Amino acid sequence: MAYAYLFKYIIIGDTGVGKSCLLLQFTDKRFQPVHDLTIGVEFGARMITIDGKQIKLQIWDTAGQESFRSITRSYYRGAAGALLVYDITRRDTFNHLTTWLEDARQHSNSNMVIMLIGNKSDLESRREVKKEEGEAFAREHGLIFMETSAKTASNVEEAFINTAKEIYEKIQEGVFDINNEANGIKIGPQHPTTSSILTSGQGGQQAGGGCC
Amino acid sequence: MATPSLLLYIDRSLFARRVKDSRPVEQKDPGWKLFGKVPLREGPIKDPKKIQKEYETKSGRAGPGNPTSPRQSVRKNLDFEPLSTTALILEDRPANLPAKPAEEAQKHRQQYEEMVAQAKKRELKEAQKRKKQLEDRCKLEESIGSAAQTWNQEILPNWSTMCTSRRVRDLWWQGIPPSVRGRVWSLAVGNELNITHELYNICLSRAKEKWKTTAAPTTDTETEDIGSSDRESSLELIKLDISRTFPQLCIFQQGGPYHDVLHSILGAYTCYRPDVGYVQGMSFIAAVLILNLDTADAFIAFANLLNKPCQMAFFRVDHSLMLTYFAAFEVFFEENLPKLFAHFKTNNLTPDIYLIDWIFTLYSKSLPLDLACRVWDVFCRDSEEFLFRTALGLLRLYQDVLTCMDFIHMAQFLTRLPDLIPAEQLFQHIAAIHMTSRNRKWAQVLQALTEQKRSGARQPGAEALS
Repeated sequence: MAYAYLFKYIIIGDTGVGKSCLLLQFTDKRFQPVHDLTIGVEFGARMITIDGKQIKLQIWDTAGQESFRSITRSYYRGAAGALLVYDITRRDTFNHLTTWLEDARQHSNSNMVIMLIGNKSDLESRREVKKEEGEAFAREHGLIFMETSAKTASNVEEAFINTAKEIYEKIQEGVFDINNEANGIKIGPQHPTTSSILTSGQGGQQAGGGCC
Repeated sequence: MATPSLLLYIDRSLFARRVKDSRPVEQKDPGWKLFGKVPLREGPIKDPKKIQKEYETKSGRAGPGNPTSPRQSVRKNLDFEPLSTTALILEDRPANLPAKPAEEAQKHRQQYEEMVAQAKKRELKEAQKRKKQLEDRCKLEESIGSAAQTWNQEILPNWSTMCTSRRVRDLWWQGIPPSVRGRVWSLAVGNELNITHELYNICLSRAKEKWKTTAAPTTDTETEDIGSSDRESSLELIKLDISRTFPQLCIFQQGGPYHDVLHSILGAYTCYRPDVGYVQGMSFIAAVLILNLDTADAFIAFANLLNKPCQMAFFRVDHSLMLTYFAAFEVFFEENLPKLFAHFKTNNLTPDIYLIDWIFTLYSKSLPLDLACRVWDVFCRDSEEFLFRTALGLLRLYQDVLTCMDFIHMAQFLTRLPDLIPAEQLFQHIAAIHMTSRNRKWAQVLQALTEQKRSGARQPGAEALS
């Protein structure tokens, strides 16, 4: 299917916080109470629309165990967005955010948009991390923040789409060099180049700028 | 307008009765009541309520538990279950309508007979197919049985002399019968580490002690050294992962029959090898062993299996050594499947993306369990080389599909393989993979690459981290 842009996302965070479940909810709109454990990396993809443009999200869902960090690090490269997930019912997953963030900042490009996600918001009775704490952490580190529930689907759609909006805005502002694929953005095969916008009167002209 | 002959889909036994007696027979069994409702020959339309009443009294009289129900006895006498769709009934035109011309009636009868003949033919074919399937299954079971006998009586008692013989190796390739699988695995994996049942029990009781101390909330300050808190979280992690190990089997989960066994083996291992600890993927290996061996023997096989060079490299997440393994894999990939290799390269699909899961869990997570066990069989025979050969066999099996895909589809396909994988076909493809590259075998290629890396590492910046 034709798309204007392709964004690469990476989902990171401690093991068992619900990374794969968030992805499954976003791509398949379903929830698996007992999800397989992720070893290495798994993938998801979905098309979304922002500002009337088709954007394809290519999502890398990584293994969370500490031991796999060295493997995960090689997957940051070329990511335009990262979802950093913790579990609101497990304090330690929140405490580890700083090390995750260090890793992300160190191994990705500096413009990567990071969305902080406090998952399992449906388990209010078992909550160990207040929403305000998540908000404060996000503010302090310049991240976007949301609490989600992969189980009820609450905010899942929004988390993925808001991240894309932020990336899209950065493209509009010219922050991202969209011609450099290391930024995790690929122009779709039918995207009109900036120069062709001026000559858009001639409808027949196909923007041949399809990258390979 | 409708065809004058009414074809109804009903049990075949009804048909036999019907042709003999063109009038609706006195209802004897609830199975016959269906016709009572259709006033075909009665002419005048019956009041539905009356029909309902008739029906109820008739069915009531017949009684549900009638032991000599004609339907049941007919069923018993049949060689095969009649298919409801093949029960065709030729109905005459209702009496209140003019009779059809003789020619037309003849034509319909002929058509009808042809249909019945075809249906019978089909049923016979189905029955033959079922018989064939049953025979095949019996044959398979017989061959498994005789293979089990061969393994038990000939091979296992003379293991050390026979295990390398051509005949045993061939038999091995065909799959080890489940009844002797565990023993063969144990023998093939060996016990280089000399682990005894006692040692297992010591490790287990140590693990249990640890669980007890960590179970009690010790309000530990966060300034504790990272090492110990990490090991504790490793115990915590085992708990989390056990429920995520073969969840569809429902035997390792909390309350399942093997939950505690899996917990014990993984816990004991973290005490046996605290330097390695628990790493995700181990739970799958332990689970497969538990399904084939007693607990202590499963632990011995588990520890020895993880002690093999390839497994050690992966479970210690020695990234540089893992990359060497991937590089060696790529040598054979290019050699065996050059077209697909080039396709992967242009799409930047690196082997780590699919191999990590396959190697860490020895295919037990990505292949159907029975097929994974067959891979394990030959892995026990040929060691690590076979894991990479299996990967190439899978790529070869799906080569045509993969060449038509882009990066994301390939990545998704390989990290989530189809549910149904034809076992024999896969093994044929694995067999077609040659594990020699320019006269060098797997071990030689791996060694050459390791040395290359070592000498390259001496020059700063030469380390190629993918």
